[in-house]
Amino acid sequence: MSFGLQIRDASGNETFSSTDITWTLLGVYTSNANTSTNHTGVPIMPTRLVTRTMVDQISGDDESYVHTFSLSGSTLTTTAPSGSDTIKTVFTVFGK
Amino acid sequence: MAQGLLVKNDNGDVLIDSEFTHYHFLGKHTHASVTQVPDITGGSTANTGGIGGNSPDQNKGMQNMPAKGEIYIYSVPVNGTNPPLCFIKPTSTGSSAPFAGIVVTKQNGSNWEIRVFQSAVTSDSPVLYCFAPLSQISNSAASGDTYGLQTFNSSGAATFDSRIKPLRAPGGGEITSPGLAHTGSLGSTWNVSLSVNASSVSTSFATQSDANDLIYYCPSLAHACQKYEYQAADSGYYSGDRFSWHRSDIWWCFYRSCFRIASTSSFEANYGVFARGHFYKHEAAEEPWYNFQNLFGALLGFLFGGAVFAGLFVAISSSTFTNVSVAAGNYLPYSNSYRNTSGNAFMISKASFYD
Repeated sequence: MSFGLQIRDASGNETFSSTDITWTLLGVYTSNANTSTNHTGVPIMPTRLVTRTMVDQISGDDESYVHTFSLSGSTLTTTAPSGSDTIKTVFTVFGK
Repeated sequence: MAQGLLVKNDNGDVLIDSEFTHYHFLGKHTHASVTQVPDITGGSTANTGGIGGNSPDQNKGMQNMPAKGEIYIYSVPVNGTNPPLCFIKPTSTGSSAPFAGIVVTKQNGSNWEIRVFQSAVTSDSPVLYCFAPLSQISNSAASGDTYGLQTFNSSGAATFDSRIKPLRAPGGGEITSPGLAHTGSLGSTWNVSLSVNASSVSTSFATQSDANDLIYYCPSLAHACQKYEYQAADSGYYSGDRFSWHRSDIWWCFYRSCFRIASTSSFEANYGVFARGHFYKHEAAEEPWYNFQNLFGALLGFLFGGAVFAGLFVAISSSTFTNVSVAAGNYLPYSNSYRNTSGNAFMISKASFYD
């Protein structure tokens, strides 16, 4: 590379550089089962990615809806599609 | 920012912001055990032996049912309330590769239990490359190495440390899973057709040099459940006796979404058979023709009715079948439908960054 940042370890191997692309953790938000929740104070970056995880979900004998969501500004709006069959959902918001 | 370090690339993407936590390499993990959801089967047969005519005895097991995938169980030692970010290094890539996805993320003491479902049984196993914030990684991970870059937020907590292999993710986006796992006919008479035949959904990411070097993070969210029902009955005379029979069956599959690296720039979603089952009820009676009034009153009440299927559903849902391990579930929470198919975020990285 002719310009930018390059970080190497003691052996000279590159561990990170400004040619990389990565995602920084902006926040982790949990919406409880069967409950719609607005999470505020979500940091803003030019590009954001929201991943959802069904934590603790093993059983397959329920409908297991995950919350739907929209992210606008600093508010993550999460909606339970079902009042009785939506499971606890962990939202992890990344930015770059 | 008033103070600290902010590094961006040419596209304006943030690479390091000292105020925010970065994910770092926690380790590479192989599975501790592998399992499958046991088949959930049952049925009752009454008085069918030696019945004349055409009483059907075929396919009372799992004949013609699609093969199940495997579930690999990992234990990731990382303390803290945030689940680790686990990327899957698949057993193979390409358009014939099996699909795999994380189906369970569960905290278990100071470890996180991760379960990866793979759509087909293979001799090799998927490997997990896991990441966590520095607050959940032991400081010893960087011990002895004095070179690199470390950043701290305004509270003095470390947020980036180049000695602990920061997450590098050259690809990512969102993918949608198919709707139904099986489209078209679900079966004919006593032959079931529930294999996954949905077209894979594909999405692209920034082209990489070697598909076999790629790892992906994409928890499974979507699932589908489909069933096939069939019932038949007959009655008449056979060798001088009056006979009657009735049989009702339900076959079903519960599918979980999973994913594969299809090429150096293509990520695909489809389903695998996570669990499956079959229940039936088969009853018959045969009497000399002069006695037929004695038995037909009872048997006719069983013929031709949704009540038979309702009864089978009750059997499937009963506690008798909820102790089948992997899931304590009966896997028929709904039928011929699907859930959670849209907006599944994913990230792509490279194993060679961390090997």
